[in-house]
Amino acid sequence: MTLHQHIKQEWREITQSQWLKALLFWIPALLVIIIWGVFSKGIASNLAIGVIDHDNSVISRGLVRAYDATPSLEVAHHYHSIKTASLALKEGSIYGYVIIPEGLARDTLLGKSPQVTAFYNSQFILIGKLVSSALLAAHNTYVAQLDTLKDLVDSHGQLSQAIAQAVPISYQINPLFNANSHYGQFLVVAVIPAMWQILIIATLVIVTAAPMQNNQGNQWLINLTMTNLVKRLSLYLLIFWLQGITYLSVFYGALHWPMHGSWLLLILAQLLLVIACAGVATLLFFVTLDVTRAMSLVAGLTAPAFAFMGVTFPSTDMPVIAQWWRSLLPISHYITIQVQQVNYATPLTDSISAFIALSAFISCFYLSKVILHRRQTRSKPPTFNLSQTSVAQDTKRPE
Amino acid sequence: MHWKKLFSCELHSIFSNIPLLVTVFGGVFIYSFLYPLPYINQTPTKQNIAMINLDNSPISRKIARMVNATPQINISEQQFTIEQAKASVIKGDISGFLLIPENFYKDLLLAKSPHLVFAGNAAYFLVYGTIIEGLVRSASTVVAEVKVSKMVMSGENIALAASQYTPIGLNLKPTFNPSLGYINYIVPAVFILILHQTLLIAAGLLTAGQFEQKIQQQRLINRKKYYWLNFPAWQIIMVRSVIMLNIYLLLSCYYFGFSFDYYGISTNANLVELLRLTIPFLLSVIFLGIIIGLLIPRKELATLIVLLTSLPLVFCAGFIWPTTNIPAAINIVAQLFPSTPAINGFLRLNQMGDNFDNLVNIRAHLWLLTGFYGLLAISLLTIKQQNMLLPDTKSKHESLS
Repeated sequence: MTLHQHIKQEWREITQSQWLKALLFWIPALLVIIIWGVFSKGIASNLAIGVIDHDNSVISRGLVRAYDATPSLEVAHHYHSIKTASLALKEGSIYGYVIIPEGLARDTLLGKSPQVTAFYNSQFILIGKLVSSALLAAHNTYVAQLDTLKDLVDSHGQLSQAIAQAVPISYQINPLFNANSHYGQFLVVAVIPAMWQILIIATLVIVTAAPMQNNQGNQWLINLTMTNLVKRLSLYLLIFWLQGITYLSVFYGALHWPMHGSWLLLILAQLLLVIACAGVATLLFFVTLDVTRAMSLVAGLTAPAFAFMGVTFPSTDMPVIAQWWRSLLPISHYITIQVQQVNYATPLTDSISAFIALSAFISCFYLSKVILHRRQTRSKPPTFNLSQTSVAQDTKRPE
Repeated sequence: MHWKKLFSCELHSIFSNIPLLVTVFGGVFIYSFLYPLPYINQTPTKQNIAMINLDNSPISRKIARMVNATPQINISEQQFTIEQAKASVIKGDISGFLLIPENFYKDLLLAKSPHLVFAGNAAYFLVYGTIIEGLVRSASTVVAEVKVSKMVMSGENIALAASQYTPIGLNLKPTFNPSLGYINYIVPAVFILILHQTLLIAAGLLTAGQFEQKIQQQRLINRKKYYWLNFPAWQIIMVRSVIMLNIYLLLSCYYFGFSFDYYGISTNANLVELLRLTIPFLLSVIFLGIIIGLLIPRKELATLIVLLTSLPLVFCAGFIWPTTNIPAAINIVAQLFPSTPAINGFLRLNQMGDNFDNLVNIRAHLWLLTGFYGLLAISLLTIKQQNMLLPDTKSKHESLS
């Protein structure tokens, strides 16, 4: 069959199968909408914290207001005892609580430097870090105001001098490449490729195995050639590639998320990724020759892929085995290219290694071919025995 | 006799189903080592940054030394312009830089409040946070030293000055995971999800596999071999859930006992409490898995569906992104999956040391899901059994007439 015929036939398959239609069209759309929805706020805000104010003075109330005023935090509860506050922290209804000691105002005025203690939930590291840095920033600003006020008295009303005394060195923090610290932009565009890899590999395993489901599974295997299989899969590869392009155009086009690099390189990387995933899918299928077992392997390989991508936790801090496993996943190389293009507009010469790594997965097709060939030669004799046409066909075998 | 037979049939079909065994035992075991692997080092350390020192005074060199001494940061190169440093970030050699401006020392003495410039690669959040944390920490130490020395210069007692450089101190205490380690963060939550997902696949594979075979061989219906068509639905589901529950209680012991101990994760719950939360969790998952198995036409789709839900379930569970910031519609749908209340409940009970009586809502939620999915599974199975039987009884009647 020609490529054109293959595509026509597969298109018919897709339109007839509810499951294929779902896997290729509405399930990916639904997954993207869910993940985008979860992080649609971008920056976590109004995280509930509690306050135990033993002082109840102008200064302590000012401090509580300063905490409440940061967009990340919301003073949701006032407690009277540490016990109730710590229970609330344990049950997760607040992410942290602040204890303001008795005599805070007096000690501050006397220059005794009282200590405010804050407990925050670090089991949820990301949320915990947001809470602690927001508390610290609000606290330092408020304290610097107090300090400036005090110094203002000493310096006889010289404001700039008073500020310099309160804050002898100031610093400016510059987030490079993600200027608004948008958590959504950071995570969504990493989670979606991870799910995409699962979808591509799993769907292609199912598609590759589809003719096996019929009664002539064995016959199909004997007549199968890699060229035919690739031709048959080509329509699916095209659809997956279009999915990738759609995802890029929605987020970096329609939603105007910042994208600094070359669209051409990114789209090329997506094509290579889709082909690499197809290579992995065929290899996993021919290793097992059983769709359910192949799917178990797909699960083992792709389900933890997100952890290995190195987006949430830097790959340079992973142990060597993890880095080695990471390089076996096509998506890790793709995400490197995506981060480089989107954020830094890296020239091709600097990201060539990731492109080469992605292309290297094409060798999976060759491995599949070798395995297929071996399976075919091994499964031939029994089929001849079964068909009971020994001599006549045996002589034909060398062909 | 009846029950015994059903038990032995069920046991046989579970332990002869290779993909199921691979998923359950292989999956749970392999994931217990594979999943924590990237996070073994707990926190990122020694991030490379560049130093742009335009001042070159004693204090600027001191800042550089202090920055380099923090566990978070390693100054790996010297640069002279921001452009050079940025190019180095893009090349991937460094992840940030520290700039000390010209006349920094002079401005400090003149009380002009000079600026230090910190920059980190925010394309990777954790790296960025680590670098900024290290820089801010060393800078605030320098600020405190400068303040103290100024106070001493203006005639204060040094011991007093050292405790009084700030009007109100803030003492931040990380609770439940004091080291802010990633293993302690990821493993307790994700392991619950691994149990959830592998059990869903197992129950789905088994159920779907049985009815898949049936469609292909309609005539063999009355053979004892096809026990799932000959016993009442409630009995089959009861036996199936009891066997799978026991297998997964063992695997849960492996996770909560061996794995958590192996990775040094603190555990607060006692065995009985843990068991009382685990049972409704596992039962609701088994019933949901059976339902999935009854709804799909081919068994491999069970693996596919469960695989695709993994990442959305992780991010909806509330331990990464605060539940209050997730849209209500997504939150409500997420409550239908046992993993959402279970992850929350296990973290509270075992990691955060919440009181067991306080988990009343979580347990009610899980038992409600168990009851609902249990009834749904029984009715769906009854319908499916009847659907399978119909064509055969017809053909029997035909053959009789």
